[in-house]
Amino acid sequence: MFRKKSVWLYLLPGLLGLMAFYLVPFVWGVWFSLTDGTIDNRFVGFDNYLRVWQNEVFQLGLKNTIELSLLCAPVIFVLSFLLAGMLRKPIAGSTFYRNALLMPYLMPSAAMLIIWLILFDYGGPVNRLAVALGFDRVFWLEGAALRVPIVLLYIWKNLGFSVVIFTAALQAVPESLYEYASLEGAGWFRREWSITLPQILPTAFLVFVLAVVNAFKIFKEVYFIGGAYPAESIYTLQHYMNNKFSKLDYQDVTTAAYSFAVIVIALFLLLYRTKSVRQGEAA
Amino acid sequence: MAQSHVSVGTAGKRRRRSTRGLMRRVRRARPLSCLILTLIAVIMLIPIVFTFLYSFFPKGEISSYLAQRGSYDQSRWMDILFSPAQVSLRQYYTILIEEPQYLQLFCNSVLYAGAILVGQGFVIPLTAYALSRFRFRGRDALFFLVLVLMVLPFQVTMAPSVMTLRALGLLDTVWAVILPMIFSPFYLFLVRQFMIGIPGEIVEAGQMDGAGTLRCFVHVMLPVCRPILCAAAALSFADSWNMVEQPLIYLTNQSMQPLSVMFNQINTDSTGVAFAGAALYLLPMLLIYIYFQDDILLGVQLSELK
Repeated sequence: MFRKKSVWLYLLPGLLGLMAFYLVPFVWGVWFSLTDGTIDNRFVGFDNYLRVWQNEVFQLGLKNTIELSLLCAPVIFVLSFLLAGMLRKPIAGSTFYRNALLMPYLMPSAAMLIIWLILFDYGGPVNRLAVALGFDRVFWLEGAALRVPIVLLYIWKNLGFSVVIFTAALQAVPESLYEYASLEGAGWFRREWSITLPQILPTAFLVFVLAVVNAFKIFKEVYFIGGAYPAESIYTLQHYMNNKFSKLDYQDVTTAAYSFAVIVIALFLLLYRTKSVRQGEAA
Repeated sequence: MAQSHVSVGTAGKRRRRSTRGLMRRVRRARPLSCLILTLIAVIMLIPIVFTFLYSFFPKGEISSYLAQRGSYDQSRWMDILFSPAQVSLRQYYTILIEEPQYLQLFCNSVLYAGAILVGQGFVIPLTAYALSRFRFRGRDALFFLVLVLMVLPFQVTMAPSVMTLRALGLLDTVWAVILPMIFSPFYLFLVRQFMIGIPGEIVEAGQMDGAGTLRCFVHVMLPVCRPILCAAAALSFADSWNMVEQPLIYLTNQSMQPLSVMFNQINTDSTGVAFAGAALYLLPMLLIYIYFQDDILLGVQLSELK
């Protein structure tokens, strides 16, 4: 560790940029959400928040955002846990499986739209499969069912990320623990329950919170499939903000944004706390 | 912070161990997990494979295929195409040579992603170096701030960002998209996580030889950080290649938009070439993934907190 004054020279460019493009807008935004936006810009306390929270469109957006993230997060969590369990030990083709899972993480969702529209068309392959399995055809691209292709596009893109983190956590459990347990006569279930589970619990929690926080930001996928004014079932908080924004209603945008930010930051702090608690135990 | 030492150390060890394990005993997967993994891998790859496959179909075949969409007729199905009547590069010819609009947007995307990378190359390693190898007042608070900014969705500061950019006279110029991305907190976090895990002895050896902090940075830190810098570059390129929200809000001029924003709009005009467009759009990311796959894996493992 250096203790030199020259550190400020290294920090300067990054610090200036962070201030100008992130911190100043953030603080300015807080001020915005607390004033009334007229010429004298009076301080109105939490009036904006009370008004925005009572707005039905805002409530719709919030409800949809929460529901979408509660659809995405558990699926990603469970699937990535199962897949990571299969990829824990090196098996033939594990590099291929891992690459197939992680590759979509880099792929632009915009380019996938056309394939998605074909897959979920009323006469498309997904409905063919459904009929072959004895179900009825569904209008996937309309109304409430629209959520399904969106959630699947999101999962397709983000699943590999969680799998990689989970796999790493599983592989970090010391092999000797298992060997010792086997010597003591513990069976498969006993080993998983008493060794694997406690060892990976912090990561499991992390993956879950991340899945919720990131799914909370779901917008791109919805925007591509549903456009700027989508069906009611997929109208998210970000649509509300974008539309308020294009009406130049900055007070409402920032107020909605910070209501949203509070939830995200709360989840983040929860995560940060548990992480430092875990590190405290380790030390 | 000790925590990050732990995570970087284990990431490195994990990698080494897994390669050694691979050499020692590659097990055959149990049939069931093999089946499930293959099934999921195929599902993940289908959209990519079919995009490329369909890009070699003749334009007419694709337009009539896409015209089958949106039918409400219970008795009708869309065809499932596997092989073209004849392999054709016509789609590529059209978007690359006949209609320059696609290529122009593609170049915009390359320019944005490239400019952002160059800027990040200057800013991110230096700032991460300061945050990881120096002790100064307020360092931990600054790092915490970076973390908070990292998890915030773009929309939170969207309105004030626009006003800030307008005040700086940058709104509606390419810089409005480029400059904020250069200081993206996520990559700062990523590189810092790696740097803080580098053993102190390496840097101290340089110091012993009389190198100053700058020489240590250039001759010791940068070479050691090569994997994470590659990972950050690849992930950042993907990020810029995918970005939608920022250009959509900051730029009103359509000809300045990157491909990510305009892609679906130009597709509705000319359906026959949609797949060649998508394939060309995917191709750079595909090559980057293949070339940097190990580094990207490391990057994702280190980004636990994202």
